[in-house]
Formats: sequence, structure tokens, C-alpha cells
Amino acid sequence: MENASLVGLSRQVALRRELDVISNNIANMNTTGFKADSMLFAEFLMPKARDDSFMRPDRPLSFVEDRATVSNFAGGEIQTTGDPTDVAIDGEGFFEVESDKGVRYTRNGSFKVDATGMLVTSEGFRVMTTNGPLQLAPNETGFTVDQDGQVATSEGTRGKLRVVRFANLAGVKKETSTTFSAAATPTEVTSATRLIQGAVEKSNVQGIAEMSRLVEVTRSYQDLSSLLERQDELRRTSIERLADVPA
Amino acid sequence: MRALYTASTGMAAQEMNVEIISNNIANMRTSGFKRQRAEFQDLLYESLRRVGASSSDTGTVLPTGVDIGSGVKLVATPRVMSQGSVAATEKPYDVAIRGEGFFQVNLPDGTTAYTRDGSFELDPNGQLVTADGYVVAPGITVPANALSVAISATGEVEATIQGQTATQNLGQLQLARFMNKSGLEAKGDNLFLETPASGAPLVDIPGAEGFGSVLQSYLEQSNVNAVTEISDLIAAQRAYEMNSKVVSSADQMLQASAAMMR
Repeated sequence: MENASLVGLSRQVALRRELDVISNNIANMNTTGFKADSMLFAEFLMPKARDDSFMRPDRPLSFVEDRATVSNFAGGEIQTTGDPTDVAIDGEGFFEVESDKGVRYTRNGSFKVDATGMLVTSEGFRVMTTNGPLQLAPNETGFTVDQDGQVATSEGTRGKLRVVRFANLAGVKKETSTTFSAAATPTEVTSATRLIQGAVEKSNVQGIAEMSRLVEVTRSYQDLSSLLERQDELRRTSIERLADVPA
Repeated sequence: MRALYTASTGMAAQEMNVEIISNNIANMRTSGFKRQRAEFQDLLYESLRRVGASSSDTGTVLPTGVDIGSGVKLVATPRVMSQGSVAATEKPYDVAIRGEGFFQVNLPDGTTAYTRDGSFELDPNGQLVTADGYVVAPGITVPANALSVAISATGEVEATIQGQTATQNLGQLQLARFMNKSGLEAKGDNLFLETPASGAPLVDIPGAEGFGSVLQSYLEQSNVNAVTEISDLIAAQRAYEMNSKVVSSADQMLQASAAMMR
């Protein structure tokens, strides 16, 4: 009797989670290097008492469960900023940066030079090159990055920005501040990946798609609400009818 | 309902984005103004199912988890320190910097500020001052009988005096540059102050290695690009609207839940 309500409720909980994911995507529409998330749902079968001796065996109940959030690692639009320390990745790969908690990966290439001349992210994480972190001397000028990541200044070549890729992107976990962490060891990217100096990669959230998902979620939620209401009504009517003792 | 709060962080962030864009547009004609850019980052993620957690006794692990984000924050408003275009003014004490560097200005409280706005004037004593009357360091005093003043590309200031064939050297303009010029603190009035993030100033004459040269009778315009700002404004406004749609959707869903109970 209660089952229909419980199945409906499991879907409502899942839809609320999906709304949370959509709202986070929309909130980050203008966040440099942000990757949109989507939700994966799975059918959760609830086995009931089974016995072949019954005339009609009971069927298992099917609930819905949120299984995973999957990040969409498709590239975002490249926007030119004119800032020489902004670098965008065109193609797959991540910049390797050194945070206080260890190595992290990011697609947000809006780098800065800090007071000591270190090339850092906006969080202050050091950007790694093949020669370790890059430190510029006070009178070093003409910072250029070519499309393979080779850094050159007035002092000559200063190493290559470490841009790495993962065989399995599902193991790459989102952290705050548009950085990612991963347990797997990455490998160097192929020559298909290009770096663009003076540009950043925008968020890959697609406003229109998120809006239509938002409408879909809201409507499904409302439909479920009315389903649960009908269930409630059904129960109420049955109680009234069955409890009605003829005089 | 987390979505309500997530969307509100999005609306707050876009509101600040519009504030920054409007300040850029308001300063389109401010000489030496450098445009600002809003930089956003995502907030913490809550792991409802942790990726890599074991899913069975035989050592299989979850290939992906459920991570729900909690919105966006504004992390930085760095200034884009690119060169603005230089415009001729025909005023002898207007000086533009082409390339790296800032003029140093002595503030009344004794500290030094830095500016790219070279619209200088003379005070009653003949001292070179900014439009606010602050002395440009190192001090340069123009004698009352000077016919004309010439400033070379390397900042040498020379005056032609009536009745003299040789020019008189009045001093040398100097520039300061910083390791991290985006880390300077804007004080208003086109002035910047040194911060721990900017590093200490390096002072040298214009045209030295790594320093820009100066150009007399020219002013550096603001580096605000109207087209970029307007398209950023449109994007910010649309993002704001979409976030407000999320708020109303979350509200409708809450309402639907509330209506179930009678």
C-alpha cells in the first residue's frame, strides 16, 4: 500500500539532488575553467519476500537512486583577455599546479606573477614546468608561451609548462577553486593539445541546456507531487469506505 | 533546499560582476585607468558517495561518486595592466608611459603612490605636480624664465632659458615597476599603493632594461574596450536571470511539497 508513495519519494529526493547540481552549474556559468556536472541515476531493486509456492510471485520494487555526478570535460569557449600570463588549453589536458596539499590539476590558466616572481594561480598555487616551479627575475620581461607550452622570456627559454592528461577522467575528482585531484599518475599530453597565450577557457556550462533541464526537473517534481496526492486520496477514500459500518 | 542558496551565490557573484563592468565603463575616458576583471571559482563539493570508495568485499571501487557543489565565489578582481592607447594633447607637461612602469607621486602623508596618469601641471613654485597637486618624485622645478621644457624618451627634463643658447638640465623623471603589478592596491584618484603582494618597487630611468619609455605631450588613455565590456555585461545579465530562474524553480518545488500536505 505504501510502496507507490515510497517509490515516488525516492524520485523526489533524486530530483532535488539534480536541482542542486543544475543550480551549481548555473552559478558557475562565468567561472573560468569550470566543468559542468550532470547526474546519473540508477534503478535500485528492492527484493521482496520470494517464494515459488505463491501462486503469483511478488515482483521486486524498483526505486531510483542517484548513482554518480559526472563532470563533462568538453572544452569551454576560449576568450582572449590580452593578459600575457593567461594561458588557455585548446584540447585535452590539465595544468599541473602545486598546492599546500600536494599536486592538483586545473584548466583555469589565468595565472599571475606573485611578489617573489613565482608564476601562480589565483589561489597562489605554483604552476609547474619541466624545471619545477617558474620564478621570474625582477628585470625579466617578454614572457611568452608557445603552443607547445615552452616558456621564453628575455633570459631565454625557461622550461615547458607541465600539461598532463589522464587515461580515465572518471577518477579525476573536483575540488574547490576549479582545481581537480586524482589518484592516478598522469601522462604528458600529445601534440594535438595546443596552448594559447593571452586567453582563458570559459566555463563549459550551456545555459540553454541547463534551463531546459531545470524546467524538466521542476515539472517532474510537480507531477510526482500530484501522484503522491492521488495516493493519499486513494488511501483516505478506502479508509472511509471500508470503515463505513452499515447500520 | 541547497539549490536556493547555490543560486543565490550565483546571483551575488553576477551582481558584483556587473558592478565591476559598470566601473570599467564609467572610467572609459579616465587617463591611465586600467580595467578590472572579475574572476570566479567554484565552492566546496559535498561528497554524498565518495569516488574510489570500495563497493564490495572483493576490492572493487566506485569509479565515480556523487559530488554536489555549493555555488560560486568572486576570488579576485585583477587589473589588466595592458598598454592603453596614447593620445596627443599638445600640453608640455603631459607625459605618457609606453611600456612598463609607473610614475612615483609623494602623497601629503609622506608615503609614495604610483600612477600611470601623466597629466602633470606646475604649482606656483614651478614644481611638477599631479592634477591633485601632489609632487612628482623625484622633484623637478621649472625656473620662471624658462621658454619651453623638453622631456626626452629616457625622462631627461631640459629647459630653454631666454638669452641662453645651451639648454639647462632640470632633472630626470624616474619610473618604478613591480614584480606583480596586478597586486598593487588602487587608492582612487588614479593612484596605486605598494602591497606585500606587489613586491617592492624597482626604480630606474625610463628606457632602462625592462622599463618603458616616456612620451611628452601625450596622455595614456584608459585600456577599457567598450565592445568587450558591453558583451561581458550582456553575459552577466543573462547569467543573473538564469540564476533567478533556479530560485523560482526551487521555490515551485518547495511549494509543490508543501501543497501535498492537507
